[in-house]
Amino acid sequence: MMTQNALRHADKCRFCWMCRHLCPVQLVTGKELNTPRAKGLLLSMNARGTAEFDPDMAAAMYECLLCDACTNDCATGYQPPLFIREARTEAVVNGAAPETVMKLIGSIEATGSIYGAPKPSFAQEGSEVLVYIGEAAACRAPAMARSLLALLAKAGVSARVLEDEPASGAMLADLEGYTEDVRRQAAACAGALNAAGLPTVVVLDSYDAEIIKQHYAEWGCGIGAEVVTATAFAARLLADGRLPAKPANGIKAACHDDDRLARSLYELEPVRALAKAAGYELCEMFNHGRLAKSCGTALALEYMPDITARVAAARWDDLARTGAKVLLTASPQAYLCLGQAVPEGCELVDLFEALL
Amino acid sequence: MQMKSFMPDMVRFELEDIVGRENVSTAAAERKTYSVDYFWLSRMWQDRGAEGPLPDIVVRPGSTEEVSRVLKVANYYKIPVHTWGGGSGSQGGALPMAGGILLDMKRMNRLIALDENAHSITAEAGMIFQQLEWYANERGYSCMHIPSCLTCGTIGGALGHRGIGIFSTKYGKIDDQCMSMEVVLPNGDVINTLPVPKHAAGPDLNQIFIGSEGTLGVITRATFRLFEQPECRKHRAFLFPSMAEGLAAGRDIMQKCQPSIMRLFDEAETVSIIKKIIGVEEKGAFMNLSLEGIERIVDIEMEMVLEICQRHGARDMGADYGEKWFQNRITFFYPDHIMDIPQMFGTMDTVADFSRIEEIYWAMKNAIESNFEGVRFIAHCSHWYGWGTMIYDRFIMDDPPEDKEEALRLHNRIWNAGVRAAMAHGGVINDHHGIGLKLSRLMKEQYGPAFQVMEGLKKSLDPNGIMNPYKLGL
Repeated sequence: MMTQNALRHADKCRFCWMCRHLCPVQLVTGKELNTPRAKGLLLSMNARGTAEFDPDMAAAMYECLLCDACTNDCATGYQPPLFIREARTEAVVNGAAPETVMKLIGSIEATGSIYGAPKPSFAQEGSEVLVYIGEAAACRAPAMARSLLALLAKAGVSARVLEDEPASGAMLADLEGYTEDVRRQAAACAGALNAAGLPTVVVLDSYDAEIIKQHYAEWGCGIGAEVVTATAFAARLLADGRLPAKPANGIKAACHDDDRLARSLYELEPVRALAKAAGYELCEMFNHGRLAKSCGTALALEYMPDITARVAAARWDDLARTGAKVLLTASPQAYLCLGQAVPEGCELVDLFEALL
Repeated sequence: MQMKSFMPDMVRFELEDIVGRENVSTAAAERKTYSVDYFWLSRMWQDRGAEGPLPDIVVRPGSTEEVSRVLKVANYYKIPVHTWGGGSGSQGGALPMAGGILLDMKRMNRLIALDENAHSITAEAGMIFQQLEWYANERGYSCMHIPSCLTCGTIGGALGHRGIGIFSTKYGKIDDQCMSMEVVLPNGDVINTLPVPKHAAGPDLNQIFIGSEGTLGVITRATFRLFEQPECRKHRAFLFPSMAEGLAAGRDIMQKCQPSIMRLFDEAETVSIIKKIIGVEEKGAFMNLSLEGIERIVDIEMEMVLEICQRHGARDMGADYGEKWFQNRITFFYPDHIMDIPQMFGTMDTVADFSRIEEIYWAMKNAIESNFEGVRFIAHCSHWYGWGTMIYDRFIMDDPPEDKEEALRLHNRIWNAGVRAAMAHGGVINDHHGIGLKLSRLMKEQYGPAFQVMEGLKKSLDPNGIMNPYKLGL
C-alpha cells in the first residue's frame, strides 16, 4: 500500500513532462516508460484501478537510478524517486519485483551484501577518525578504498576501519524502499559506528554518506560523531596543509559529480579541490554540478548491467565533447560504473590515488 | 480483414527482426504510458479512471533504415502508425486513436553534425530539443527555439506541429529555423528535402512536412540554423490601460524594432497569472519585452520601444518585472503553477493580422463567457509578426462535469464556439500548438475547398491511410 504522500507526488507528476530530458535511463533507452511522468502515470492508473501492478509495471520502477535529477529540476518540488521507491516496496511485497532484484535482496538476507559474500576486511586500528568503506568499494573498487586509506596515512591521520563493517542500508533501501529491514540495517550500522567512539566518521561512498547523514537521525539511530564524506575530508586535509598539492601536470581533465554528492549532499567543491591539488587542468562537462548526468550505480550495475553500461558510456561521450581525455572521480560507485566503459585513449582516475 | 490466431505474433516477429526484440513491446504497462498526452481530454479520461487510447504494439526504431522497414511492414499489413516523440503536445496529436503501431522515436537521439561554418546543427528527430540546445550551447551557439516544452518535446515533435519558442518574434518559428529534413514516406522510401530552405526549385518540401503531424510520413533527421549568443539581452515591462493600447503599441514596435520576446497580457490574465507568478498587483494590460543582440543596437531599440509605449499610454515598469518574467518563463508550466485537472481548460491559440486581432479577441471572449456559465477567458499575445500577432487565449472552468462523456461534450462545445468565432472574424485556427485530434474536425471549415490540396497529398503519399489516423482532418 503506497502512502498518500507518494500517490500525491505521482498524481502531480503524471501530467508533467518537464524533467524527462534529464533522465539518464530514458536518454539511453528511449523508452517513454522510463520517464518520471510515465512511472507516476502508471501508479496513478493503478490507484484508479485501470492498471495492474504486474511484473512489467514493477520492472519499470526498477529501470531508474534514483539519481534525483528529476527532483532537482522540479520548480515545484515534486519528487519522482519518492513514489518510485515506494513502488519498489510494493513490488517486493507483492512478489512482482524482477527476479534479478529478488536475487540481490536474497543475497543481502543471506550474506549481508548484494555481492553474495561478506565484505573483504580493510580493518585497521586508529584513533583520530573512523573510516566507513562501504559495500561497493570494499567488494568492487577495493583499490579506491586502499588509496583513501593510504592518503589518510600520508596526511598523518590515524584512521580506524572496523573489522566487521555493517551495511549502511543504502543498497537495500534502493532495492525495496525504506522498509523495516532497512531501518534494522541502519540501526545496526549506527550502533557499530557509535560504538567506535571516535569524533569523526569519514564515509567513502556518497550513497552510504547520504543515508547516514540524512536518514539515520530521522529513524532514531543518529550518529554522535561528525559524519563527513571522504572527498570533503580530503579537501579539508589539503586546506589545512596536511596534504601537499602536486605540481601542475598540464593534463586537461573533468570531474564527474556523483549523484549523491551533487544532488543530496550538495558537495561540488571538494572534488574539484582534490582535482586541482592533483595537478590537473580542470574543465567542466556541460552538464555538471547539480545538473550532472548520472553514470550509473553499483546496484544498477548488478541488476541492469546493459543499461548501466550505456549510461556510463553516455557520460564518457559528455567528456569527449570537452576535448579532455581524463575523467576524475573520488566516488567508488562512479569509478566502478565509468570503469566499465572507458573509451580507447581515455583514462579514469581515482582522485585519492592521484594525490598519493 | 482481421488478424486472427497467431497472425499478430507473426507481425510482431517481423518488427522484432527490424528493431530488435528489446525494442518491441506489447506489455500493458508500456502501452498505457502512451494513452495520455498533454491534451486535456486524455488527461481527464485517465483521471476519471477510464481507459485511454492504447496502441497494440510499441516499436522503438534506432535508425532511419529501421523506420523505413517498419513503415513497409505497416503498409503491407495496413496497420496504423502513430509517431510519438515527447508526447507533450496539447492537441492529442500523438495519441494512438486507431491502435496499431506506436513508433516511439526517442532512441533516435544522436547528434549528427554541428557546422560552425554554415551555422547549422543536424540531429536525429527523436532528440529532446533541450539536448539539441545544450549541444549548441556547448559551442557558444543557440538554436533560439526555446518553447516551454523545450525539455520535453522532441525535434520531430516541434517540426510535426509547427512549434514556436519564446524568442520567435526575433528568430522565427521552427519552420523558419529548419533548413532541411530527412523524411521516411509511408511506403518506406527515404527522402531528403533540398539542402537549403530558400530556393526557386518549386514548392518548398520542408513546408509540406513541417506541420503534417505524422500524417504524411516520419521525420527522422533535421538541420537547423544556429545563432550566436546575443551580446546582451535587456528586459523591460510596461502596463497599458487596456489590451487595445497594448496591441497598437505592439504593432508599431514590430515596424521599428525586432524584440525577441514581447508578451502582452489581457486585463484578466494580468490580475491572475501575472499577479501570481510575477507579483504585479495592478490592473491593466501587462507587457514584458526583451531586446537582444549587439548592445549598441539594443540600446537604440529600447529607446524606440520606450517612446512607442509611452505614446500608447503605457507606464514603464522598468527592467525588474521583465527580468522576473524571464526567470520564471518555465516555472509557469510546472505542477501547481499551471492549470490542471480537475479544472477544465484549453489554449485556443489564434493568429490573425493587426486589422482583425482585437476584434477576434473580443469575439472569442464573448463567445465563451456569454455562452458557458462558469467559464473564464484569459489571453495574451506572445508571438508577433510584422503583419500581426497571435492570441494565446485560454478558457478555464473550475468545476467541469464529473461525468466524462458530458465533460468531453462540453469541452468540445467550448472549443467549437471559440474557434468558430475566431474563424468568422478572419482568424486562423492555430498559431503553434497544432491541430491534432482536438481541432481535426474544424480543418475543413478553416480551409474550405483549399483542403483538397492536403487531401490530395495524403491520398498520394499514404493511400492506405495508415499514418496517424483521425488527425489534422485527414
